[in-house]
Amino acid sequence: MSVPDYMQCAEDHQTVLVVVQPVGIVPEDQFFRIYKRIASVAQVSIRDSQRNLYIRYRHHYLPENNEWGDFQTHRKVVGLISVTTCGSAKEWPQTLDRFHSQKEVFGATLYDSRLLVFGLQGEIAEQQRTDVAFYSSYEDCPNVEKRVEDFVESIFIVLESKRLDRATDKSGDKIPLLCVPFEKKDFVGLDTDSRHYKKRCQGRMRKHVGDLCLQAGMLQDALVHYHMAVELLRSVNDFLWLGAALEGLCSASVIFHYPGGTAGKASGRKPSLAQGQGQAADAGKRHRPGALTANGISADTSSEIGRAKNCLGPEDIIEKYKEAISYYGKYKNAGVIELEACVKAVRVLAIQKRAMEASEFLQNAVYINLGQLSEEEKIQRYSILSELYHLIGFHRKSAFFKRVAAMQCVAPTIPEPGWRACYKLLLETLPGYSLSLDPKDFSKGSHCGWAAVQMRLLHELVYASRRMGNPGLSVRHLSFLLQTMLDFLSDQEKKEVTQSLENYTSKCPGGMEVLTLPDGLKLPPVAFTKLPIIRSVKLLDLPVSLRPHKQKGLLENNMSTKSPFIYSPIIMHTRGEERNKKIEFQWVQGEVCEVQLMVYNPMPFELRVEHMGLLTSGVEFEALPAALSLPAESGLYPVTLVGVPRTAGNITVNGYHTSVFGVTSDCLLEGLPSVLTSGCVVEVIPSLPRLQLSTSLPRMTRNLCPGELSSSVSVQLFNGETQHLTITLENIGSEDLETLEVASKTCNTKEKLFGEFLSWDLDEAVSQLPLKPGQSVTLTVNIKVRLDFSGGENLLQDLNDDGISVTGLPISSPLRQVLKPRAETKPLGSESSKTDYNHVKTLEAVMTFKYSGGAGKVEGYYRDLTLGVHVDIEPSVFFTRVSTLPATRTRQCHLLLDVFNSTEHELTVSANNNQDLVLHASECQRMAIQVDKFDFDTLPQPDQEALRYTNPKLLEEERLHAQASMINSTLAHPSVRRQGEASVEGVLNQLVLEHLQLAPLQWDVVVNGKPCDCDIIADCRVGDAVPLEVKLTNRSKNAVGPFALTVVPFQDYQNGVQNYALQDAVTFIGSNTFYIDTVKPTENSVCMGALLFLYTGDFYLNIKFQDDSAGQGKELPPSWFGLPSVHIKALEAPIEAGA
Amino acid sequence: MLTRLKTQVPLFSMNSYTKLREKLKLSGLSLASTHSHVIRLGRHSRHNSKMAVCIAVIAKENYPLFIRSVPVQNELKFHYTVHTSLDVVEEKISAVGKAMADQRELYLGLLYPTEDYKVYGYVTNSKVKFVIVVDSSNTSLRDNEIRSMFRKLHNSFTDVMCNPFYNPGDTIQSKAFDSIVSAMMVQAS
Repeated sequence: MSVPDYMQCAEDHQTVLVVVQPVGIVPEDQFFRIYKRIASVAQVSIRDSQRNLYIRYRHHYLPENNEWGDFQTHRKVVGLISVTTCGSAKEWPQTLDRFHSQKEVFGATLYDSRLLVFGLQGEIAEQQRTDVAFYSSYEDCPNVEKRVEDFVESIFIVLESKRLDRATDKSGDKIPLLCVPFEKKDFVGLDTDSRHYKKRCQGRMRKHVGDLCLQAGMLQDALVHYHMAVELLRSVNDFLWLGAALEGLCSASVIFHYPGGTAGKASGRKPSLAQGQGQAADAGKRHRPGALTANGISADTSSEIGRAKNCLGPEDIIEKYKEAISYYGKYKNAGVIELEACVKAVRVLAIQKRAMEASEFLQNAVYINLGQLSEEEKIQRYSILSELYHLIGFHRKSAFFKRVAAMQCVAPTIPEPGWRACYKLLLETLPGYSLSLDPKDFSKGSHCGWAAVQMRLLHELVYASRRMGNPGLSVRHLSFLLQTMLDFLSDQEKKEVTQSLENYTSKCPGGMEVLTLPDGLKLPPVAFTKLPIIRSVKLLDLPVSLRPHKQKGLLENNMSTKSPFIYSPIIMHTRGEERNKKIEFQWVQGEVCEVQLMVYNPMPFELRVEHMGLLTSGVEFEALPAALSLPAESGLYPVTLVGVPRTAGNITVNGYHTSVFGVTSDCLLEGLPSVLTSGCVVEVIPSLPRLQLSTSLPRMTRNLCPGELSSSVSVQLFNGETQHLTITLENIGSEDLETLEVASKTCNTKEKLFGEFLSWDLDEAVSQLPLKPGQSVTLTVNIKVRLDFSGGENLLQDLNDDGISVTGLPISSPLRQVLKPRAETKPLGSESSKTDYNHVKTLEAVMTFKYSGGAGKVEGYYRDLTLGVHVDIEPSVFFTRVSTLPATRTRQCHLLLDVFNSTEHELTVSANNNQDLVLHASECQRMAIQVDKFDFDTLPQPDQEALRYTNPKLLEEERLHAQASMINSTLAHPSVRRQGEASVEGVLNQLVLEHLQLAPLQWDVVVNGKPCDCDIIADCRVGDAVPLEVKLTNRSKNAVGPFALTVVPFQDYQNGVQNYALQDAVTFIGSNTFYIDTVKPTENSVCMGALLFLYTGDFYLNIKFQDDSAGQGKELPPSWFGLPSVHIKALEAPIEAGA
Repeated sequence: MLTRLKTQVPLFSMNSYTKLREKLKLSGLSLASTHSHVIRLGRHSRHNSKMAVCIAVIAKENYPLFIRSVPVQNELKFHYTVHTSLDVVEEKISAVGKAMADQRELYLGLLYPTEDYKVYGYVTNSKVKFVIVVDSSNTSLRDNEIRSMFRKLHNSFTDVMCNPFYNPGDTIQSKAFDSIVSAMMVQAS
């Protein structure tokens, strides 16, 4: 006996063994169908007793094992059911012969046999036999079970008779010695009459009877017999049989204690047993009929007590098993018995939940040497050990043995390695190594399990699946290995694993589909979330020029506030919510969107990632995959993935897609808790038009203004210069441009800026809307730079010594100093002051083009295009000093400007109608401009400070037209004309302004009906009375006067001598003094007088005034009394008149 | 920065060391007593230079923190041996755990014998397991000596844990621990 039945369990001792075998040619599947039906009759209740007979069916049984039938009767084949196909009557005799020859194999032990014949057509000539049943086909055999039951009953009858026969055989002359096959030769020539021998025979027979009783369902008798046998055999030191008797005792006790059986689910026989007979359902404390109740009377209490006494307790069972096994261990040939006993004991211990002791039994079983085992037997042995370890909860040990079994399947000694079986067994070891093939189990928290052994197992799985010829599985396992064990792989191993992975994927690329094995196991896809490792995912806003903006009014309407508070410092969200948080900005349908990932490569070599793209949901999205190559063990590396949303709505970035080493993976962010993200949901708004801006001026790359600009231009201008900037806007999008708005904003205005910096006319451009895609529109923008033209203090002092008084006011004096242009150039004081003038100033402004159109406009979105205008302003001219001189007319005055050319070129300055003034580089000259005085009263003037800014319109007149002609010094270029305007706005100080102001009291002198002013010579005739009218108009706010005016005539000899003694040359008609009463505001007062010139000549009238309103205590400023001096030329009276 | 670190380290480690001492005292294991054991063992071991062939420290979550075996070329075998021994360790802990979890003996005794080796186990109160594999042929090694080896190992492990730069759960990379383990292993000759 060399082949152990690892499936055995203690309760098998109460079964009778029936072999079911095919005879002749029987299709395998048909045979097993019949076998299953036969095997369903595993328990038969014997009709006239309460006993049950349990049957164990085998379709394969070694006759060699049958020889041990005397030792343990459940090993004895007592029944044979042959299944055969017999097509015709002709074949019948041959079939019958075969049946008989098969019967002979187990002949010695058979109690009864049956032949089931299938497929027979027609009649058999022979007479009806009880042991043969005919069925027309394998399908049509309704009473197979019934037949088997009858058969079992017949076996029972034989069994019962044998039992009774042996049990009562005490008085017989001689008890035969039962022995096991290997013992036979030991007893040759032994003294059969010795007491020792007889006792041995008795003991062995007792044990045998015990077995029979157990099989016949008489547990109590069996226990009694076993006890007796143990005592008998112990006294004669018959260890092998003593072991058997002890084991029998154990088995009977186990059957008593654990009616549910000890085999558990491992043996598939129990379910059929349960359904075999209805009564088996009460699996609890099933009532077991004992020998004493064999006559049909149910067990009384005494039998229960007796049974309890004979029966072993749970502890004792194990003790006795140990003892039995130790006895078996004494015999090398009883290895199988010992092994089976160990297995049975382990099953019992597993039920008792005594894992430690069970493991000791198993440990013992491992060491039992059964001699030369075939590879198949080894596999079987390791598998069963694994199963048993699993049974007692030693999952690691179980996995270990399963793995050994798997390795045994493909041992080098096997000619045809069973890779498939190996793979299947290896898969079964996974739970033992706390390994699941779902990478999700590894993404949470730290690694669990023993990495070294897990890695080994995965390697083996990879190898086995490759040898199986399933590269897809290899790729999946290898991917899994790489993904989950990355932290434990050494650099060398990483290289090896990836190399082999690449080899495999060249044949069978890895994907994201679930692989299903033939046995139904599903291998979930492995996503390489660690190749490369992603640290953060950030959705990027569109470039500034493409960003959509919501119209303000609409934005407020759409504001959905979850909280009643506008702001709360308590931010209540978790990380997961953050991931789903909606991002502030929007993406636009049809525009390329970007997501930035921070990645790094954990591998010690360059990692090539191909087809890296985004995985999104919510919106139709066209991902544009990228390929990247990360250097070995790179640091964090930004990678931008792009794509185009094709529809509008909310888009969620779920993850990314990669292809590494030929394995494509979809890495979802929800499975990657370590990835930082500030939200993955973004609104995609309907498409908007897109403008491209180009300008006539050169572009500037750097942005000086704060904030982001789409583009900016830079230009260099002289102060006062004007430049035209042509802006071309082209619609390069796919939507019509429907609205366009332009605005500008000047930034960093530290400099005083006069006038409008940027001006444009949008009407023409707007008239071309809507702008179709591909069309363009132009817009001309004027850039005017007017900075302060006033010079610094240094220069002011420089020219201050020319003797012209600014403060001295020769009000009513006719004296004018003729300005002589200063030809000589004043050298500048120092270098530092020079640099002061050469300082280049900058002006910056941002032009904003708001535009919208298409579906996005309907939703209330627009886009901004910004253009930064950067102007470097070089100084051109400076008005270093300004003063006024009264002009000959009282209504006018001369503005004296010291103009300094700070450029390196010659320039021409012209003002109003004056002649051009040519200024060489760094030259300073004075120019006088005659300007009309103006009236401030016509303008609202809250205070003097505001004056400067509020009267630019008037000052416009005073603007100097500075014409700068610049001659380029280089040889090749012709001279370039540039011109601009310089404004005196910033130059005029209050004092000068006062002089430029018209006095509030306006005096009009009318001589001879003609208004008179300084430079107007009134003609009159000698002897004629010349009417003189002085009119005072009060434009001040207060009433003025009364005044007294005295008209004093004099003659100027033009040599400094003035002759006032003209009493005889000029006479007044009436008084030469006028009185003017108080003049109320806006009113006027006129005094009339007359003069009579007695001689010809040039006369001047000096109108002196005397303020009689001294009582008011307020002195009016003298400049208010700027009365013109009157120049009258008295001519000879006509001759005809004079005669 | 560096100087500040240097001054902080001893302070911190001292602090945690005393804490651990208290913990150990609660568990009935005094450091002083184990020290005396160690000394005695040291004297004893001169006669018996051959001791363990494999020493492993296993984390609470049953993954190895440290494993070292003497025939380095066949390390995986010991990985399997130690890994399977965890079944027995778990069984023993659960068996005892029900009764008196507090006063459980840390030393688990012989876990299981294999053909060539004997595997001994020891579990700290924080469920960190120590496993020592001894050659079966080494009959001179008695239970008491195994015990003291475990105590020595436990002491050294405690020192490792006291290192403020050691993250519990990381593999042990300590020279001091290494040398203690090496002293317990069979000499290469």
